[in-house]
Amino acid sequence: MLKRIWKARSGYLFILPKFIFFTVFVLVPIIWSFFVSFQEYRIFGTEWVGLRNFRDALQDDLFWMAVSNTLRYAVVVTPCSVAIALILASLIHPLRPGAQTFFRAAFYLPTVASSVVISMVWRWIFQTRYGLANYFLSLVGIEPINWLHSSAWALRSVIIMAVLTPPGVGVILYLAAMGSIPESLYEAARIDGANRLMQWWKITVPLVKPTTLYLLIVSTIGSFQVFDQVMMMTQGGPGYATTTIVHRIYNVAFRDFEFGYAGAMSMLLFAAVIVLALIQSKLVSSDAEYKG
Amino acid sequence: MPKRMCVLTALLLVLAVSASAFANWTGTITIWDCPRWGNEEDDKFHWIKGKIAEFEASHPGVKIELVETPWAELGEKLSVAIAGRAWPDIVPVDISGAINRNHLEQGVVEALDDYMTPEELEDFFPGALEAYTYKGKLYGIPMSMSVHVMLLNLDHFAEAGVEPPENGRWTWDEFVEKAKALTFDSDGDGVIDKYGFSTYILPGYYEAWPFFYMDGAQPIVNDEFGFNTPEAISAIQKLVDLKFVHGAAPVEMGSSDVGGTFRALAREGERFVAIQPWNSWAIATVTGEGVNHMPNVMVAEYPIGESGRPITIGGAGGWVIMYQKDRSKLDVVVEFAKFLSTTEEQYTFALNYGTFPSRKSTEAMDPFADQPLMARAAEMLEYAVTVPEHPNWAQIDARIQAELQLIFAGEKSVEQGMNDAAAQVQRLLR
Repeated sequence: MLKRIWKARSGYLFILPKFIFFTVFVLVPIIWSFFVSFQEYRIFGTEWVGLRNFRDALQDDLFWMAVSNTLRYAVVVTPCSVAIALILASLIHPLRPGAQTFFRAAFYLPTVASSVVISMVWRWIFQTRYGLANYFLSLVGIEPINWLHSSAWALRSVIIMAVLTPPGVGVILYLAAMGSIPESLYEAARIDGANRLMQWWKITVPLVKPTTLYLLIVSTIGSFQVFDQVMMMTQGGPGYATTTIVHRIYNVAFRDFEFGYAGAMSMLLFAAVIVLALIQSKLVSSDAEYKG
Repeated sequence: MPKRMCVLTALLLVLAVSASAFANWTGTITIWDCPRWGNEEDDKFHWIKGKIAEFEASHPGVKIELVETPWAELGEKLSVAIAGRAWPDIVPVDISGAINRNHLEQGVVEALDDYMTPEELEDFFPGALEAYTYKGKLYGIPMSMSVHVMLLNLDHFAEAGVEPPENGRWTWDEFVEKAKALTFDSDGDGVIDKYGFSTYILPGYYEAWPFFYMDGAQPIVNDEFGFNTPEAISAIQKLVDLKFVHGAAPVEMGSSDVGGTFRALAREGERFVAIQPWNSWAIATVTGEGVNHMPNVMVAEYPIGESGRPITIGGAGGWVIMYQKDRSKLDVVVEFAKFLSTTEEQYTFALNYGTFPSRKSTEAMDPFADQPLMARAAEMLEYAVTVPEHPNWAQIDARIQAELQLIFAGEKSVEQGMNDAAAQVQRLLR
């Protein structure tokens, strides 16, 4: 084993910085959260409380409200963002290389911007009195909507923002996947009389399924972790209309200082995401993967 | 006898070494501070930087590291620091928010009783000391006091032809009449674009709350939830009616948009609300220079309800010293905190930062002789109450405010909202 590692040392050296970063900032906190979730965490000394934090979380109305809001968010945002990425990539892929590069950059660059900044822009767009959204509605005679401050619209507003934010990573990955589909398949389809839409549906969509699966899983995880948009735009309100799981965890940990309880909710979220990812993997995976 | 002499000598030596250790402690003190008032270069940390330089000069070997922190991030940043046991030495907070009773009970904050002489304590207003006292111990050095006041845009009043309340005092009925008269269509397009009143609802902020105390209610009475009593329901209902029955408040009233609410009162070009309640720090903002300068502004009391008093909510600001493992360092940290809170420094704050002094000696210097708005606001301290002291206050507050948001969004009746709050809060009160 050591000999094998030594032989591949240059490869390991390349991944070492990322691995250290991952260990310090992801792995260790996850393991720490796991242990904290069984404790009543105090600044000086902690008390082991077994499963009490998990029981409290499962009996907490606000936690279930947060679960409900998060599910509603994820159910819309995940498929929409993956579908939009697929459609955009499909529209960009047939273009000339120069145009492709332009659109790749155009759709990817916004993902570099901080979600906080994007949320602030959207908060302005959804501003009741001076916002762009209500201005456009007024042009067609629709009454202004209290986007961020009514229970009916607040979560929808956050969802609209998430769906309309360009899925840059998805577009890039789909373009890469489409680039690896052999042209001969499309030629054969054309000879058989398939139009562009049929080619897309029968060849492109099935052959990018591994990418779709990957994006679905990653997007689901991202949707379940939605936080900064909510924090910036609605702070979980009005009432609890936009309180999501991570927002609830954040409040419990850093407002209420119940780190054990927050840890238990984090572990429940972790378990739920794993289960969902496995289910998605089973449902979406197929033999249609191109192995050329 | 020689043995006793030896012990005595040893003890004296230990004392001498300890004393010299105190006198000679060197090292770094970390202080977090937030923006105050700007200087010519608009540096809003110039005051604390100047004090640090002075203290370092008089204490060779002591270095003070300043961490500049926005007010909006102070609480969260401090919470994270406490969780990671990586707190600063001094921080400008009260003991009801980011630092709360749980922290005090866990020993995260230093009690300062042993460091304050009776003469020093005598110079502070009792309310200021009370704000930093928990279970008989003092957990901070009060620097300032504040109170919530009503700010009136007199240009809006003039445009509507409405007289402001005489000497800033009004009953609830008078307030409603004026708010209604201040609500109108200013450009004749058939749409109301000027409103009499607005405010916001957000956990940790209490601009709207004096209205809820107006008829004699309190949020917690004898460890029971008090905002579902008839006095509370009637008071909240009055403010709700101002929006939904009298139409004297915009649709945004009761939302969590702090910045948008303030702009609606003060920002040049965006003003459309005549009356808003704010913490007294806002007086310095609207009377100072900049886009939020209001040319004609007045300070008024909260309206008088059934309680017969213009009740408001007050608070105190000051320096909290976090737990110090090194006790000789603690002495220097306390010395620095005291250095920041002298009579003269509080006078400087009163003149430039819109806060009321917590020291009687500063008050005696009459800092508001040339600031009539601040002087009027200072009179309201007499009617100030504080938010309840409870170890779970942050959670209780969050639940009440969430229900208030729904009430002011018109999604719950006052009774339903406050009963829902009671159900959630009761568990936290036990």
